[in-house]
Amino acid sequence: MNPGPFALFKWEAVAAEWPVFATGFGTTALVSLLALLLALALGLAFGMAGASTSKGLRGPTRVYVEFFQNTPLVIQVFFLYNGLPYAGLVLPVFAVGVLGVGIYHGAYVAEIIRAGIEAVPKGQKEAAASQGFNAWQTMVHVVLPQTRRIVLPPLANQAVFLIKNTSVLAMVAGGDLMYQADSWAAGNLYYGPAYVVTGLLYLALCLPLSRWVRRMEKTSAVQA
Amino acid sequence: MKKNTIRGLLAAILALALVLPAGAQTTDLDAIKARGLLKVGVKVDVPKFGYKDAGTGVIDGFEIELARIIAGKILGDPKKIDAQGVTAKTRGPLLDNGEIDLVIATFTITEERKKSYNFSDPYFTDGVGMLVKTAKGYKGIKDLNGKRIGVAQSATTKKALQDFGDANGLKFEFAEFNSYPEIKAALDSGRVDAFSVDGAILAGYKDATTSYLPDRFAPQDYGIASKLGNNGLSKLVNDTVKAMKASGEMDKLIAKWELK
Repeated sequence: MNPGPFALFKWEAVAAEWPVFATGFGTTALVSLLALLLALALGLAFGMAGASTSKGLRGPTRVYVEFFQNTPLVIQVFFLYNGLPYAGLVLPVFAVGVLGVGIYHGAYVAEIIRAGIEAVPKGQKEAAASQGFNAWQTMVHVVLPQTRRIVLPPLANQAVFLIKNTSVLAMVAGGDLMYQADSWAAGNLYYGPAYVVTGLLYLALCLPLSRWVRRMEKTSAVQA
Repeated sequence: MKKNTIRGLLAAILALALVLPAGAQTTDLDAIKARGLLKVGVKVDVPKFGYKDAGTGVIDGFEIELARIIAGKILGDPKKIDAQGVTAKTRGPLLDNGEIDLVIATFTITEERKKSYNFSDPYFTDGVGMLVKTAKGYKGIKDLNGKRIGVAQSATTKKALQDFGDANGLKFEFAEFNSYPEIKAALDSGRVDAFSVDGAILAGYKDATTSYLPDRFAPQDYGIASKLGNNGLSKLVNDTVKAMKASGEMDKLIAKWELK
């Protein structure tokens, strides 16, 4: 009766074919989780290296951070997908997603962690040294615990960006939520409800994360 | 009391839903005449159908000529068209929000799509074709059993191939892309084993390293789409297509653009 993009029968079609969206949602959640772990691991390693006094450690960190921050994620993913096969390496598209998004965000996480480490007052390190802590012990027992509280809010932002950025997989037929929504909506042209539902599903992934970190911030503030 | 209010609201919404499109019927052609321009969504990346010359910026092709003929019918001047490039993702929304009046862009008619848009009678019928790397040595569709096939989003290719596969005991994997050049890139890099879209579109992407499979499947009927409710426009378009087919004018136009 109502012929617009949000006609009732289009909503019913989304409801009837919900497994399409559920499959995409699952892929997006899994790629996000693994990419986040990779980004955190890379970020922690490169962040600590970037904050160190050794030029040999800081140099490669700068190269990594500047390269991945200053080239578009879309091109990086396109390269992983269509470029590497010419070198004989055909990664599954799922791995393209985890590596592409994880390495890209690792560069941002590294900068956050470096800034967090440098924000811990110098006196703390000096105090630790005066108590006989070596550099590694100082880092693990004194600096990083204080860094954690500083970096948690910007890290949460990165995690949210990361989840949303997994939608680049739609470009390389990655089977993620955005791809499934595009594919479904392009076939029957019921794009109205399809993209509303997709948006809500991304919100369902990102919102709890923001809320959780909010709470973490409060509790760690009390403990400190 | 509350129930009555809800019922009243529902009735009001229903009445609006019925009245609004009815109001639009009488004005859709007038609106185009008042504007003095027919806004058409066309392909800009399909040689011979709708293709934008990168050097001159001019969009031309079989479907652009159709648009001109329709503009001539409405406005008396075939030059009064505003052709705008559309993609799979934009053509539906652009029709719905009134940015364009018609889509003439290798748009395959399906029952599902007819629920959202008016379609004219088909002005061209094409079959799904396959482009493969010559070096892989595929001889026919049967060689692609279990292989991955690159198709375009919003094309009906996937469904057509699935139906063909089901009927012939073949199974395919699919990867859908947003644009044809992306499928070509995936074919070149070996990500997909075949590039499958409507045959006419495929012609623009064949090069020295690729070749066609001989098979063609599932006739695809292209129609001119307009917004549901724009019944004056849709009738005029359909009458034009019908008349052109009856008079042989359509065949002449197809021959002129060397379409098969």
